[in-house]
Amino acid sequence: MSSRRRFITTVVATCFAAARGGARAEVTYPAVTPRPLDFPRDHGSHPQFRTEWWYITGWLRDEAPSAGEAPRDLGVQVTFFRHRSGVAEDSTSQFAPRQLLFAHAAIADPALGRLRHDQRAAREGFGLAQASEADTDVVIGDWSLRRAGTTYVAQVEARDFAFALDFEPRAPLLAQGDAGSSRKGPHPGEASYYYSHPQLAALGSVTIDEKTHAVRGRAWLDHEWASEFLAPTARGWDWTGINFDDGAALMAFVIRDTAGRAYWAGGTWRDATGRVTTLRTEDVRFEPQREWRSPRTGIGYPVAMRVVAGELTVDLVPLFDDQELDSRASVGAIYWEGAVRALRGDRRVGQGYLELTGYGGRLRI
Amino acid sequence: MIRLDRVTRRYAGPPPRLALAQVSLAVAEGEFVAIVGESGTGKSTLLNLVAGLDLPDSGSVSVEGTELTTLDDDARTLFRRAHIGFVFQAFHVLAHLTVAQNVALPLALLGHDAGATRARVTAMLAAVGLDDRGASMPHELSGGELQRTAIARALVHRPAVVLADEPTGNLDPVNADRILALLRECVRAEGATCLLVTHSHHAAARADRSVTLTGTGLRAVAVASAPR
Amino acid sequence: MSAGALLWRAVSGGALAGQRGRVALAVGAIALGVALGFAVTLVNASAADELAAALRTVAGTADLQIRGPRNGFDENVYGRVARDPDVVTASPIVEVEARLEGHDEALRIYGIDAFRAAAVTPALIGIAPEPLDLLRPGRVFVSPAAARALAVAPGATIEVQSGLAALPLLVAGLLPAADAQRFGVMDIAAVQDAFARHGRLSRIDLRLRPGAPHASVAARLRAILPPGVTVATPAAHADDTVRLSRAYRVNLDALALVALFTGALLVYATQRLAVARRRASLALVRALGLTRRALVGYLVAEGALLGLVGAAFGLVAGYGMATIAVHALGGDLGAGYFRGVTPTLVVEVPVALAFVLLGVAVSVLASYLPAREEARTSLAAALKAGGRGSVVHAQRLPHVAWICVAAGVLATALPPVDDLPLAGFLAMALLLTGTLAALPWIAKTALAAVAVPRNVPAALAVTRLRATPAEAATSLAAIVAAVALMVAMAIMVASFRTSLTVWLDAVLPADVYLRAGAAGDSGYLSVDAQRRIAALPGVARVAFTRWQSVEVAPGSPRVTLLARDLADDDVARTLVLVAGPRPAAAEAPALWVSEAVADRTGWQPGDTVDLALGGGSYRFTVAGIFRDYARQHGALIVERRVYRRLTGDDVANEAAISLAPGDSAGTFAATLAQRMPEATRMAVTTPAALRALSLRIFDRTFAVTHALLAVAIAIGLAGLSSALAASIVSRRREFGALRHLGMTRRQIAAMLVVEGTVSSAVGLVTGFALGGALALILIHVVNRQSFHWSMDLAIPYALLATLAAALLAAAAATSLASARQALRHDAVSAVKDDW
Repeated sequence: MSSRRRFITTVVATCFAAARGGARAEVTYPAVTPRPLDFPRDHGSHPQFRTEWWYITGWLRDEAPSAGEAPRDLGVQVTFFRHRSGVAEDSTSQFAPRQLLFAHAAIADPALGRLRHDQRAAREGFGLAQASEADTDVVIGDWSLRRAGTTYVAQVEARDFAFALDFEPRAPLLAQGDAGSSRKGPHPGEASYYYSHPQLAALGSVTIDEKTHAVRGRAWLDHEWASEFLAPTARGWDWTGINFDDGAALMAFVIRDTAGRAYWAGGTWRDATGRVTTLRTEDVRFEPQREWRSPRTGIGYPVAMRVVAGELTVDLVPLFDDQELDSRASVGAIYWEGAVRALRGDRRVGQGYLELTGYGGRLRI
Repeated sequence: MIRLDRVTRRYAGPPPRLALAQVSLAVAEGEFVAIVGESGTGKSTLLNLVAGLDLPDSGSVSVEGTELTTLDDDARTLFRRAHIGFVFQAFHVLAHLTVAQNVALPLALLGHDAGATRARVTAMLAAVGLDDRGASMPHELSGGELQRTAIARALVHRPAVVLADEPTGNLDPVNADRILALLRECVRAEGATCLLVTHSHHAAARADRSVTLTGTGLRAVAVASAPR
Repeated sequence: MSAGALLWRAVSGGALAGQRGRVALAVGAIALGVALGFAVTLVNASAADELAAALRTVAGTADLQIRGPRNGFDENVYGRVARDPDVVTASPIVEVEARLEGHDEALRIYGIDAFRAAAVTPALIGIAPEPLDLLRPGRVFVSPAAARALAVAPGATIEVQSGLAALPLLVAGLLPAADAQRFGVMDIAAVQDAFARHGRLSRIDLRLRPGAPHASVAARLRAILPPGVTVATPAAHADDTVRLSRAYRVNLDALALVALFTGALLVYATQRLAVARRRASLALVRALGLTRRALVGYLVAEGALLGLVGAAFGLVAGYGMATIAVHALGGDLGAGYFRGVTPTLVVEVPVALAFVLLGVAVSVLASYLPAREEARTSLAAALKAGGRGSVVHAQRLPHVAWICVAAGVLATALPPVDDLPLAGFLAMALLLTGTLAALPWIAKTALAAVAVPRNVPAALAVTRLRATPAEAATSLAAIVAAVALMVAMAIMVASFRTSLTVWLDAVLPADVYLRAGAAGDSGYLSVDAQRRIAALPGVARVAFTRWQSVEVAPGSPRVTLLARDLADDDVARTLVLVAGPRPAAAEAPALWVSEAVADRTGWQPGDTVDLALGGGSYRFTVAGIFRDYARQHGALIVERRVYRRLTGDDVANEAAISLAPGDSAGTFAATLAQRMPEATRMAVTTPAALRALSLRIFDRTFAVTHALLAVAIAIGLAGLSSALAASIVSRRREFGALRHLGMTRRQIAAMLVVEGTVSSAVGLVTGFALGGALALILIHVVNRQSFHWSMDLAIPYALLATLAAALLAAAAATSLASARQALRHDAVSAVKDDW
């Protein structure tokens, strides 16, 4: 099992490393040029682009816990990646590894105090792993995410947990950046196509330690695809997606260079009335409030963040500190991705997820 | 000491022949008896019976109170080992052992330890006049010296009975005399009983008494009084 | 000196006197037997270990494996299998034996899906500085052993043959495999592209859900697999490979036993002589009071010591032989079963000890007989005259001889046990034992027929032989055994070689043979290549053959299927049929099967059978059974036309070309090189060359046995010499008396020579007769059951006559030498009985 993890991690790391500008490419990936998003087509996969993901994060509450237990909050995350490897483009084999699919799922369970997670990897083919171009419909083995009508359905059977969740949109889709083209850096090529679907009502079941719990909650979907979106000097990024209790939604990110400075930032704020404000680099700041150091890897993460997005300021505090994703082989791909509460002052105003990457040293190939 | 009672021994042949027919003999302890007869009269057969090398067809053979006909081959061998000594006409000294080692053989068979053996062997060699020849190999010795080795060997383990089968057959007259005298003396010194098979009446004269084996049986001859 | 040591010296001290050569030979014979057996065991155990280790590397933690014919099976099976709820991981693999440019051998390449294989066979995941190289086309990862063998390092390029073209592959890294396996790994899509294997897989490794019952999962999968595709545990597949080599190995083991047997005979003869020479001193010690049992114990201990020394030498020699054999011939001793396996020899102490024990046991047994005989002799007679002669044995034919021979004949009718001709070996042993037991009777009967010659020494010799047939018999035993084995092997080898030559002439009717790629299956003749070959000038007719592998009986190893272009009269001309031909039904085309297949399946001409081909199951009629020396596991032949119709597979592996009259193979080769430059990747041979190569391989295979037989003959002669010397020793007084009567030394020597030669002649005739019987068993039972091929009897009269004459001459010379040596002593001293 560990060698399989090591292998997958290695390849994943390579794929992401290659997503930076300047990586050697055997094919030419199309550039991201601003264009209107076209649905339902854009729900699906865009295989000519190098990288693509569908990324759901959310909070779930176990409404009917066992006798004597308080209602429990859980964080959930599932991501499906597609990567166009750039090799074997001319191959006529059904096994040709042109498109690689990875998936990643985690449950944040405060009772355990650290993440339960699992991953999958496969090449596209034989119906065993595929990403449809028609609509959101990604499958790797027995993990899947698909759109049924307007509802997203996610199914994951992992080593020590499983879930089957329906996500029903309670608010419209939110195109990021410039009508769906989100800049990620100063150069024109550093951009991605990006939309989010905040305020998804989650309903379904989560199985932990062979006990199944009925859950409901709130979730956030990101679907992003690009060819090159990170500058060579990028070391990592901080990202957050927050569902506000009053129906508002905030997405904000900064990209940090090797010196730790945020050289690019962005985001979108949609208030409770539905008015959308696009944030520019100078509008967004992530201010670390508290650092947590991982006992396993020794990396320090600013798990409590103050996010300034235009006129809005919120404090993000984690559901619990240890939400580090450590792929044991430790080849890159160590980051922090955790469920956070959004507070204003002492008042809780929303919840969502915070992703902190690039704190563990430069992504090594 | 030695008693044969109506012993008969036949050989199947070809041709079948009767080596001993109803022979009886009694030898007292310490006696030196000569057994005389022509060739083919069964002298050696008689000796073999006493030694337990052979079993009679009928009759009994008793040595030192032990009835040999009731013992199996192994038991007779063990008996022979402890109670009998041999001197042969053909010396039968092992060519690849030294004189001292040859003499020590019976003691080795009896399992005596090296120290006691050594002392005894030295004594016996001295008794037969070979004290300085202990380390010599047999091929360096003359016929007489070889027979003396055989005598030493025959008595080294203090047997009750010594059987000598024509011991002087291969020696010239002068040596023959000497050897017989030596044999007599050693046997007497050890207090053993001796049966001497010979076809020479001259040799027989040395014995306490002699018995003659004829074609029809054992016949006692007048006991000659030999000088002691 | 202690009592025990003195006794030991007394009994055994004179044993070696004047016997050094003979004792050394006896020790050597034991050493040879032990060495052979040990070497074979070592090589085989090491090879099997290596195979198991290789299996672990290559099969990893797979619970089940799906396999199909050599050409692979439909890759869509993978999608269906992977969806089974109990299958956690299904890892698809394409296997190719890729011929390497510039090398004679092929490199096995596995095409894997690294994402899947990582969970099942992690040893196949390369160590990649550039991770995407694991997916890139044109990249290969090689095992450290392969890198060493090919002298390449990461970054180098190797060229492999695909079809008739050369394909460069970049060595992108090494594999973590630590054993001696040589193989390479590429991405599965890359292999399918490079070697035109689109749409086909060689196998699928499965990891099942923990706790899932393998048998029921396998049964469920079987239902969705196409015909000809099997599912089994990895161990089951390995067993097949080991089984193939078993017959060969067992035959080698039998050979080792033969060597040990002749060693035993020699120890017996040597000990007999040693005892005879010491008769007087042994008699003395017995008279002094050493029991019979103790005497036997000492003598047997001497034998044990011989055996121990011999076995010790044998172990060392055996290890050396095994090392040489493995390096020169490979783990299967050249028989081609374990390809690419070069095992390291591991000596297991219990095995080595077992062989030492075997050598000692054989020696002890061989020494026991003369010891017992000696203990039984009349002590009185021995004492009196220094030994009169040997015990007189009965001269009737002993019961045991009859029983052995009868049992041996019956045993030849028994079927093989577990595919091994054990009954055949038993029959041979029984016949040998029976004949040896009957030797006194044979000697007596034969000698009674010999007339007494006029010449005095000769007359004395013959009368003595007549009077003591038992003694004659003992000098004969070694000769009879050695001659019988020599004759048996000579006849068998001659029959085999003749049958092979005839067969080769029949199956190679064409003028030129082209094979795409000398080794491996990555070379093939595409349809285009076939057309161009057929269109070459000088080609009158061309017949193409395609190789495949099919399963004929569930669970048994696959056999080779040859899809061949057959004209109407070809079958009769080119196949050596042993049964059939029968006409085929219209809906069930003709199928010819080799003897090995017929033995395994029981098919007879006229039977209709189902065969799985190309994913479907089709009906065929068995049209005949043919003799095949080339493929031991079996072969089937169908018309290529039929094969193409059923499977759509129209590439070929081999072309048999008949040239137009007036064209020679040389000019054709030139034309070929000119018109088809890629022909350099084809192997072009003529029947003459193939025949010469086959016979060379044959001769090399049997060279070992010939060498062993020469040794056996030498031992036989040594046995004769020992027996003769033993007899002479006990007759010293007799010779002394003869000398006194006025016979010259030369006359006495002549008498001994006549004795030795006449008894050797009897032994020769007996040995020839026995050898003929053994040859028949070898041909019709042992070879047939071991390797499933038949051969026609061919007796090499000239060779046998020469051998007989040579042996007789050697026997005479040996007798003379023994006589001379024995008569060196002065006659007078012989009478005197002096020591």
